[in-house]
Amino acid sequence: MTQDKSKFSRRDFFKAGTIIVGGITVTSALAPFDGVLFATEPPKGEGKWYGIGIDINKCIGCGKCANACKLENNVPKAPFYFRSWVEQYTIKNDGTIIVESPNGGIDGFKQSVPDNEIFKSFFVPKMCNHCAKSPCVQVCPVGATFETPEGIVLVDENYCIGCRYCVQACPYGCRYIHPEKGTVDKCTLCIHRLKKGLQPACFEICPTEARIFGDLNDPKSKLNYFLKNHTCMVIKPHLNTGSKLFYNALSPEVR
Amino acid sequence: MEDHLQNLYEVLSKVEGYVYPNEIELNWSILIVLYPYITGLVAGAFILASLERIFKLRILKPTYGLALLTALAFMLVATMPLISHLGKPFRAYEIMITPHLSSAMAIFGFVYLWYLMVVLLLEIWFDYRRDMVIWANETKGFKRFLYKVLSLWTTDISPKAVALDNKLGYIVTVIGIPSAFLLHGYVGFIFGSIKANPWWSTVLMPVIFLFSAMVSGIALVMLIYILLTKIRKLSIDMACLDMIAKYLFYFLIIDFALEGLDQIHRIYEAEESFEALHKLVFGKLFFTLFFMQGLFGTILPLLTLGTFQFYKPKEQIRKRIYLVVASLILVGIFFMRWNVVIGGQLFSKSFYGYTSFKIGLIGAEGYLMASIWLIIPFIILAFLLWLLPPWKKIEVDHEI
Amino acid sequence: MPQQIKRLISVFAIFIALFLIMRQVLKPESFGELGHYRAKAIQENTMKELHYAGSDSCAKCHEDILKDKSLGFHKQLKCEVCHGPGLKHALFIDKVNTAQIPDSLVLYKPIQRKDCAICHQINAARIKIQFDTINTSMIHQINVLDHNLMDLDTKVEYKCIDCHNPHQP
Repeated sequence: MTQDKSKFSRRDFFKAGTIIVGGITVTSALAPFDGVLFATEPPKGEGKWYGIGIDINKCIGCGKCANACKLENNVPKAPFYFRSWVEQYTIKNDGTIIVESPNGGIDGFKQSVPDNEIFKSFFVPKMCNHCAKSPCVQVCPVGATFETPEGIVLVDENYCIGCRYCVQACPYGCRYIHPEKGTVDKCTLCIHRLKKGLQPACFEICPTEARIFGDLNDPKSKLNYFLKNHTCMVIKPHLNTGSKLFYNALSPEVR
Repeated sequence: MEDHLQNLYEVLSKVEGYVYPNEIELNWSILIVLYPYITGLVAGAFILASLERIFKLRILKPTYGLALLTALAFMLVATMPLISHLGKPFRAYEIMITPHLSSAMAIFGFVYLWYLMVVLLLEIWFDYRRDMVIWANETKGFKRFLYKVLSLWTTDISPKAVALDNKLGYIVTVIGIPSAFLLHGYVGFIFGSIKANPWWSTVLMPVIFLFSAMVSGIALVMLIYILLTKIRKLSIDMACLDMIAKYLFYFLIIDFALEGLDQIHRIYEAEESFEALHKLVFGKLFFTLFFMQGLFGTILPLLTLGTFQFYKPKEQIRKRIYLVVASLILVGIFFMRWNVVIGGQLFSKSFYGYTSFKIGLIGAEGYLMASIWLIIPFIILAFLLWLLPPWKKIEVDHEI
Repeated sequence: MPQQIKRLISVFAIFIALFLIMRQVLKPESFGELGHYRAKAIQENTMKELHYAGSDSCAKCHEDILKDKSLGFHKQLKCEVCHGPGLKHALFIDKVNTAQIPDSLVLYKPIQRKDCAICHQINAARIKIQFDTINTSMIHQINVLDHNLMDLDTKVEYKCIDCHNPHQP
């Protein structure tokens, strides 16, 4: 035994150590360690890379976007299935926060708090954030939801097994199980309209142009103009989802 | 479909505060409560068997074979609740064909297969091979055929071959322990890795799942052992039972400490979600968490088993108390899974409100379906005990 | 090699071989071309039916209304905001080239008070004028429940459009 031990001398140790450390350095320089196992790839800086901007100051809460989304995409009518909806936030003088979204805002809103008790109130349209590091894509066991090279998170309804793991993983509540198909359903950014040169239905229909949609890779796009000229924020930034839905005038109460 | 919507409208009327409209429907129902419950029973039963074999606790010998067969019986149905709750059950094979490597659920398919094929089946096979060869010669007809098939038409029962079986079985058990940890730790990871859900998202989740799994599995084998000796009208091996109870006590302490740590950590850090979770715990989860899981499932068994470490009542009484304690723990762990799975979906990810949970008696996600998946493992176990009775085996000394 | 090892290895080999064959057979085509998904699914998603036509389609026949509209407060509103999806309506005219539209394809006419209320009902969440100097979201608000509700003599309920032309309010 002692003989065996002496065979491995200190010099050998340093030699082996140098090889290991050097090898790690070289390989990590060649292929930098990507610390997080994300399901999707970051933007490559070529082609389109879609993002969305919503100006809360401009939203009047008509709910036309939510309605248009249901009609355009044949979303079930029952008030449990939404790809796009509007929330009404009312913060009272005493600090209580009231959030409402009756039927997703499709039938319009009523203010339930008398004006003299209101500190501030505003509408927040919600939809899929088309995250660049989507938690929903990350957890799909079969690859039935994915991000297209253009940055749109889609569902493959012919491959989805309906396990609902992605519904649990979406921090924004933007997914539901289609009651007839048994597969998951979500906003497609109206990719069927985009390919025909039209805007997504909710953007098309917004009466106050509170919704801006465009290519983040194009420095001259309307969206980049909007982002440059407003202080924009995403919802739940601490979750690091790489959300591409940017809100102007987003209050910290919005979750 | 109509019933489903009717249900949802009823739930809608019970929503408190604000939940995202898509969150009104609870997506993971009782079947997903069963899934970690059953996998946990498997892992726990296997660990108990390993205690005998690896940690040389010879005193546990009477439950070794029983624990293994229990693990197998539950393992065979472990994925069934998962598959039967899918929106498209016939597409389940896709998990194996195109597994998405970043998904915890996809990897589970392989962890499951590894555990079933490489660990459980192999260990049982090595353990029973000689007996199956002998039984094949002793029996006739279909049973004989079954033994032939199961022993893969091997005939060699020379001492050398048996020694090899024993050795390989030992190696498989050694691999099996980390595999059992992996299996159930992984189930915990499925929940613990969901960063969107603060009730689930904790690094402790896999560890908590693991220890609660051991607790539930050991309690299950204890229960089955007591009942089986009663059915077979044999006298029970009290030393063995006391030893099981001792380990049950130890694991229960660890489990309780970990869950306590998790809650204390949440309370002290009091993150964004704290108020919402606080209200959840003292509201919709109050009964299932504090009474079913806490008092009946943990505190009472802990006190009873703890007392038994100092003071042991008469055997007859002790046996009955063990029976009650094991049942309490099994119910408690079921509600622990319930509180995790259902509790994690009762509050909105906006932290502004709560939905409610309604479950029917019938239907694909009803109580009836759920109890079917809980009863089938016992039927399988009865079959396995008929086919491979551990008490008819030739005693093998696991010493190698 | 001992007998039992041989048997086990062959069973496992058969199992793994079967699995690999199944995998080859069942793996859908176009899977993995662009990422861990069926590349064809993008195509399938783009094949969905459209419902909203976009405002360019309306100008073909309703130029007069669009002209009216361009002079008023509602100039930036697209027709389909109030009238609903109109692609089928527009396509029918394209195809048949006649004004005889079947009833099912006639678009919604929002003449009820509630139709206007959906945007103009007074609501604290809607008042943005004092915060927004550009005034792009300035919107006239009224309590639709009591604003000129009915003729005081005849008790006949007024509609908003009795006084306001929706295309040029």
